[in-house]
Amino acid sequence: MMDRITGSMLTGSTLNDINSALAKMQQTSEEISSGRTILEPSDNPFGASQAIDLQSQLDGLNSYTASVNDGISWTQTASSAMSGIGEALQRVRELLVSAGNGTKNQSDLSNIAHEVSELTESIKQDANVQYAGQYIFSGTLSTTPPYQQGENDEYQGNSGTVSRATGPGATVAVSTDLASVLGNGAAAGDGKTLDVLRTIVKHLNEGTTEGREALTGSDLKELDNNIEGMLTLQATNGSATDQLQSTAARIESLHTSIAGALSNTTSTDVAQATIAYSTEQAAFQAALRSASTIVQESLLNFLK
Amino acid sequence: MSIPTLQGLQTALSGLLAEQQAMDVTGHNIANANTEGYSRQTAVLQTSHALPIASLSAVTGEGGQLGTGVTVETYTRVRNSYLDAQYRTQNSALSGAGTQSEQLEQVQSAFNEPSETGISGQLSAFWSSWNSLAENPTSEAAKEAVVAAGQRLAGSLNQLSTQLSSISAQVEQQYEARTSPTGEVAEMAKQIAQLNEQIKLAEQARQPPNDLLDRRDLLIDKLSALAQVKVTANPDGTDTVAFGDAAKPLVEGSTVKWPQTLTAAAGGQLGALLALNAPGGALTGFGSELDAVAASLAGSVNALHTSTPFFTGTTAATIAVAVKPAEVQASGSAAPGGNEVALAIADLRGGAAEQGYSSLVEQVGSKVRAAQGEQANMKAAVTAISNQRQSVSGVSLDEEMTNLISFQRGYQASARTLTAMDEMLEQLIEHTGKAGL
Repeated sequence: MMDRITGSMLTGSTLNDINSALAKMQQTSEEISSGRTILEPSDNPFGASQAIDLQSQLDGLNSYTASVNDGISWTQTASSAMSGIGEALQRVRELLVSAGNGTKNQSDLSNIAHEVSELTESIKQDANVQYAGQYIFSGTLSTTPPYQQGENDEYQGNSGTVSRATGPGATVAVSTDLASVLGNGAAAGDGKTLDVLRTIVKHLNEGTTEGREALTGSDLKELDNNIEGMLTLQATNGSATDQLQSTAARIESLHTSIAGALSNTTSTDVAQATIAYSTEQAAFQAALRSASTIVQESLLNFLK
Repeated sequence: MSIPTLQGLQTALSGLLAEQQAMDVTGHNIANANTEGYSRQTAVLQTSHALPIASLSAVTGEGGQLGTGVTVETYTRVRNSYLDAQYRTQNSALSGAGTQSEQLEQVQSAFNEPSETGISGQLSAFWSSWNSLAENPTSEAAKEAVVAAGQRLAGSLNQLSTQLSSISAQVEQQYEARTSPTGEVAEMAKQIAQLNEQIKLAEQARQPPNDLLDRRDLLIDKLSALAQVKVTANPDGTDTVAFGDAAKPLVEGSTVKWPQTLTAAAGGQLGALLALNAPGGALTGFGSELDAVAASLAGSVNALHTSTPFFTGTTAATIAVAVKPAEVQASGSAAPGGNEVALAIADLRGGAAEQGYSSLVEQVGSKVRAAQGEQANMKAAVTAISNQRQSVSGVSLDEEMTNLISFQRGYQASARTLTAMDEMLEQLIEHTGKAGL
């Protein structure tokens, strides 16, 4: 309790009150207009560092989403190329069955041989499919086409695996080892697709009895094996697509919850801030009113 | 029973003169109502020497002393030196906290966080660029994007480091400017020493130099914003002023001892400036933490980017991208389509560099918040003390007006007494002894 109240005390404290009321109003109005509660780290130091971490996580999720989507496109490209190869193999099988029914003469067989050769080229062409400028069936030698057109059936790629990031420290392999089914051709004699196709063409063109028998016998069996192998590859690739798609959904929901947390930390609750603003405005007006009335009162007003 | 005939006139006159002097003092108070550092003054009235009368009563022979009116003994200023000392202590702390928060706020705005353009955003963009490269390891455009993101990040670190250094240099400059032989401290000390001299002379003449005392107190108040002051009042009226943690008193009598060495313990603005730049102080601390972030960034990226170091430099000031786009390594082998390195570097997101940086931002924020909080507390304390001082020493115009009326009435009454005395004497001189005329 002060004994004496002097004019400078009154003006000083009134000025203080006006200033602090105005400072509060300014802070709140900035929060409302910027939409953010943390304008400077000092507004909420822990919140600021949390916001930085959450923002980085969110950016991370965005790039995982991009790379997962990219992976999905990659596997879908692979899938359509492999369907093409599968269809070509089915066509070869039909031709093989029709060639073996004994009614075809040599000229028919030569025609069939020609078609099988063309299907072989188309299989190699399908294997050379590119996604975003990369040969997707060359392993990590993505700038080299896996097969050359023409006689040479040797695989040009490597067995490297290409992966896409799906989360911190988590990757999914998107590459398919197509060479394990197509093989290295007749020169290698590995019994893989290209080798089998070349053998079939040879048997068709030779027209020998053994050749004809082989067409519906060992050739057909090996072709069936390779069709089976192709289906397995397609299934593996399909499950990679599924995995990527479910990852995309998981990232999406994670994104929603982290964005929510970030917004809780840094965004202004407009309703609350507006109410706070009105309260502060009332305090400010009260301070102004007291300045305009109380400070003016003086004995001098009453002396004659 | 001998009372001088004209004694009553003298008594009334003393009343007139005293009331007039009191009114003069009131006028001085009113004139200085808004003068900084002014303490209200009062005229100390005292009864004048009484007139001894040997025997008043013819019957008992008992004597007495006849009052002869009033004199103004002196003019005093109303001041409480205990409140002065308290005010100066709090004022030092306030000014120290103010300086600290002002400088730290500059540091904080240099960080420009949280925002998309701050270093946290650049770091995040840098990791994302590696993610994009992993999607297409042979793309020249992706490699260029990685180098560009790296350069922006390194550039931001360089810039922040430069800003921290320039704030630190500013802090040093401010200290130098205030403490130089021609700076504020020296100037104020010189004035205090001069006032000491004048006050000493006035005290010797037994004339309390109220206004000079106010001026000296005001200077010491201002000095207290720069560092803690300790004032010892000497019997000769001079003040010995100890300043901060300087070894010798800044002012002793009429001599000034400056420059002297201060440390961070000096308090006030100068102490705060020294503390900011001291080893282990806020600015140096932030600088070395930022260097640690840069070193951790360069170290972790270079450890994975095995073909050639991606970054050179291990401090925030020197970090730079060392590779050309064509040298950016995405693959862990000779195969161009591999993306192991790009994936591993992208996976550094949220690692030591980022954690170090976000904890640095938290530290900066906490320091600023603490300084701002202290400033607000000290401001409240200084306002409270200042109000107490004003309550004692401040001029209240209502009070002065009341005094003015009371002195005016006193003057009028004394004048009336004089008139009455005059009429009485007139009766004696003009009309007495004329009986029957």
